[in-house]
Formats: sequence, C-alpha cells, structure tokens
Amino acid sequence: MISKEEVKHLASLARIELTEAEETKLQHDLAAMFDHFEELKEINTDTVEPMAGGSVLTNQFRNDEDATNRVANSAALKAFPESASGLLKVPPVFSSEGGSAAGRE
Amino acid sequence: MDIKKLTIASLHEGLIAKDFSAREVTQEYVKAIDANDKNVGAYLTRMNDAAIAAAAEVDAAIAAGKELSPLAGVPLAVKDNMLIKGVTATSASKMLEHYEAAYDATVIEKLKFERAVFLGKTNLDEFAMGSSTENSAFHVTKNPHDGTRVAGGSSGGSAAAVAAGMALAGLGSDTGGSIRQPAAFCGVVGMKPTYGTVSRFGLTAMASSLDQIGPFTKTVEDAKILFHAIKGKDVHDATSIDVVMKPFHYAPKKEDIKKLKIGIPKEYFIEGIDPAVTKGVEEAITKLKKLGFTFKEVSLPHTKYALSVYYIIMPAEVSTNLARLDGIRYSRDVKGAKKLNELYLKNRAHGFGPETRRRVLLGTFVLSSGYYDAYYAKAQKVRRLIKQDFDEAFKEVDVILSPVTPTPAFKIGEKTSDPLSMYLSDIFTIPAPLAGIPAISIPVKKYTVGSGELPVAFQLMGKHFHEADILGIGEMYEEE
Repeated sequence: MISKEEVKHLASLARIELTEAEETKLQHDLAAMFDHFEELKEINTDTVEPMAGGSVLTNQFRNDEDATNRVANSAALKAFPESASGLLKVPPVFSSEGGSAAGRE
Repeated sequence: MDIKKLTIASLHEGLIAKDFSAREVTQEYVKAIDANDKNVGAYLTRMNDAAIAAAAEVDAAIAAGKELSPLAGVPLAVKDNMLIKGVTATSASKMLEHYEAAYDATVIEKLKFERAVFLGKTNLDEFAMGSSTENSAFHVTKNPHDGTRVAGGSSGGSAAAVAAGMALAGLGSDTGGSIRQPAAFCGVVGMKPTYGTVSRFGLTAMASSLDQIGPFTKTVEDAKILFHAIKGKDVHDATSIDVVMKPFHYAPKKEDIKKLKIGIPKEYFIEGIDPAVTKGVEEAITKLKKLGFTFKEVSLPHTKYALSVYYIIMPAEVSTNLARLDGIRYSRDVKGAKKLNELYLKNRAHGFGPETRRRVLLGTFVLSSGYYDAYYAKAQKVRRLIKQDFDEAFKEVDVILSPVTPTPAFKIGEKTSDPLSMYLSDIFTIPAPLAGIPAISIPVKKYTVGSGELPVAFQLMGKHFHEADILGIGEMYEEE
C-alpha cells in the first residue's frame, strides 16, 4: 500500500537520507502500520469535532508585556556547532561551486 | 542507616531528628550507583560532585535552623530529556550527545528550590520513543529483577534506578505510558499527572499534546509529595494550568476516599493477558474490596482504536517537534556539506536512530497533503470519542482500575524486530494520555514468570485534576 517511491519522497520531505536497505525496511514497517490504521474507517466520525489534546481546551492568555530572555545569547550559541561574530553559520542554500554566491554564510 | 528502607517521608524525619546527614545519605546513593549500575545501566550522566555539594547545603540549612521542605536532601534520578543547567541532556540520541543545557527545566527549578539532590541523568529510548530503552543510542537499561529483561520504557533508566536503590525517587515523562509501563516492569510507583498540571518547559518535546512529567517513587505517599512539588502553572508553558488545589487534594480524608467507586472497564480484560498480570490485578481488586471499596463494570467502547489513534497523532507531533534537530543547532557530526539541504539530509540520517526515523516518516506521511484528513484529522476525531468514553464512565464511577501492561517485563531483544508488537505492549497506557487524565501504576507483588519472579502492577485512572483520588486509594492500598 506504500511504494518505494513514496518512502523516498517521505524521506526527502523529512530531510533524512536513507540507504536502500532502510527504504525496504521502512516500506515494510509503514505498510504494517497503515494496515492497522484501516480499523479507524469502521467508526463514523461525521459529527465529531477533532480533539487537539490537553485537558482544558481554552486559550491561555498572558499580558502583552516585554519579557527578558532567560538564556544569555552566548550560552545559547554554545549549543550550536558553528558560529561567527555571535551569529550561526550555515552553508549556503543555493551554491555553485566556487561561484560568487558560494561564500555567503 | 539502610537506604533500601528509606522513603522520602522517612528521610525527612531522619534529617530533622539528625539520625543522619543529607551528605551521608547522598554518599550512600553514590556508592550504590558505583556498585550496581554496571549491571543495570540506569544512568547516562553522573552528577556526583554537584550532588554532594547540594546535600552539604541541606546540612548547612539544618544547622542554621531553617525550615526544611519534604524534598530537601532527597537524592533523585532525572530522565535525560529534562534540562539541568550545565549538564548534558542527550535524550539518548546521538543528535544531542554533546548538548549541554543552558537553563533549568521548570520542574528542576522547583526541585532546586526545595533543595532536592540530583544524582544524575538517566537512560531512555531515544527522544522518549519506545517501550524498553532498547532505542537508546547509548545502551540498554536492564531490569533490576532480571538482567535478561528490559526495564521498560521510555523512562526505563529512572524506573530501574529507583527499583535498584540507586535513587530514592526519580522523574520521568509519559506520552503513551513511558512512566507507568517501566514502573510496572520494575516494581515501583509511577504516575502520569493530568495534562497541563506539570510544566513541560525544559522537557525535550516529543508529542506536545500528550507529554507530561511525573514521579517515580517507592511508595504512593512519596509520589504524592513529589507530584505536589513539581506541579503548577508556568508562564513558560502556555498549556500548563493553574489548578486550585483544595485541602482535599493535599490531604483527603480516608472516609471520603472510601466513598469512591471504582470502575472495571471490560475492554481492558482481553485475551492475551499474561496469567501473572491477571493474578496481580485480581489480587489488587480483592484487597481493595476488603478495604471497603465498591466496584462496577464500565465500558470504554473505543479502547481498541486507541493504539491506531496514538500512532497517528504522536508521530505527527514527533515529526514536527524533531524538525528543529537539523544539524544547524545542537550538533553537526557530518561536516563538509556544501549546501544546506545536504547538511540536513546527512546530519538527520546520522543523528536519528531507526525508531526515530520510522516515527518521523510516519508523521510526515499522516500530515502530508492528500492524507491529512484520512489519517490525522480522523485520528483527532476518534481521540475525542476516546475522551468521551471516559467522560461517560466517570458519570458512574470515580476511578477506573485496569492492568498497566499485558505482560510482565519482556526479554531484551524479544520485540525489537517487530515494531507493531512493541507498540502493542502499550495498549492499556495509551488511552489516559489521549484523554488527558491522570493515571498511576502501583506494584502488587512479584509473581512467578518462567524460571524467575517479576513484578506485576495495576493501574488507576482518575478524572481530570483528580490526582487525589488515585493517590488516596493507592495510599490506602499500600497501608494494608
């Protein structure tokens, strides 16, 4: 009920690179789950509102006031593998090797 | 002093009577971990120096004549998905192997204020996803009663630490049973509070509409003490709720507790339950009847759909929550990516274990365009029906009693190749978090299973914010 192509597409959406063997295993595992989920079709839910969860389902408001960040910028930056001048460093979104855009970070 | 016999309540008395110092107690626990944890594998990170220092401060406070909180000097084990400032918080994932918390989770802040002592961070299934700690990226936690069996999961480390006398109490998090199931497997008390009662700030999010932090303890009385210390509204968690606790909630009168009617849901007593579990639950019911409690059969007709609902809603939330673990933040083990997309693909492949990948992909699927209504929206609707089952049942009874798990602790490796059989071990613990209600796992005793003996427990589920009901019945049960 789920094709290898669909597994590949999901992996690409989820940004996880899979090996061929992992794709096969996941195809099998997900198919077993979807078979199990079929039972939900037995239930008529036409008049049921979805429940997003929790115990008190009302909005929680706070006063619109300035708040200070509890975590210092430097402490937060420590949790990032690469940074420069107090900013995060990542590879470019688009790149042409050696091109003028490649060095942008 | 014999730490095996200590409870939170008796430790407090002993400190006040100066029978022993907080430092002595903490040192005993450090020694116990040194001696036993190589066989159990409950801890991922030890905090010996900080623990001894915190205990010394408790002794200084006693010497200065300060009033002592019931949790002062209590040595605790903390599941490694909760943040303690300056200490690693790995969630048992390679993705967070070197992540050091920059702030305290709210529950930790509260417990520090009470002068509790943290012995270390405990093992779990990666990102709290699993029922056996076999999904930990680091090691498996063994059941202290039988080293060939799992401690349960995902909070297996905290449960095993308390069961093996390597912590007086502990913290876990429960999404589909991750406190109650390991508590049952290890023979300790474990409670999942009402959703919103305890702040999730500083808990690494798994499935945000289900996750809830709760206590592991040796006694129900201790679970009550720890629960009251960590609960409360928190400005940092918009889903936390200000529950106005009436005196009944702190110290309910025995005669009021005795009036509570206990429901037995027929859908929870199905074929395939291990005879030891059946015996244990029957024993608990017999004992409660002797105490004067009345029982009534109730029906929760949508129970059998809970597993499907859970395995749609939970992965959906997982795939969303784990999107932040992208190789830009926290860790970047695979270096040299030339493009951002390549960095994501390679680091998420390297950092996430098989179960995490499975759930992220499943969640991505049920949320994707074309399948959303058939799976995610459908599951949310059936979730409401499951909650309504409880609403109806709670018109007739105050509390619902059931098994916690279909079997006692299973063998290490028994279920790892078949995810669905692993998921089925959670069928009795999944409905409570879907409905948001509180539930507690209380040990009965050990029963013969195979060639050995394993603990069996029963579960009490209560109405929203009625922790006092399940704790009250539990306390009477253990006093007997």
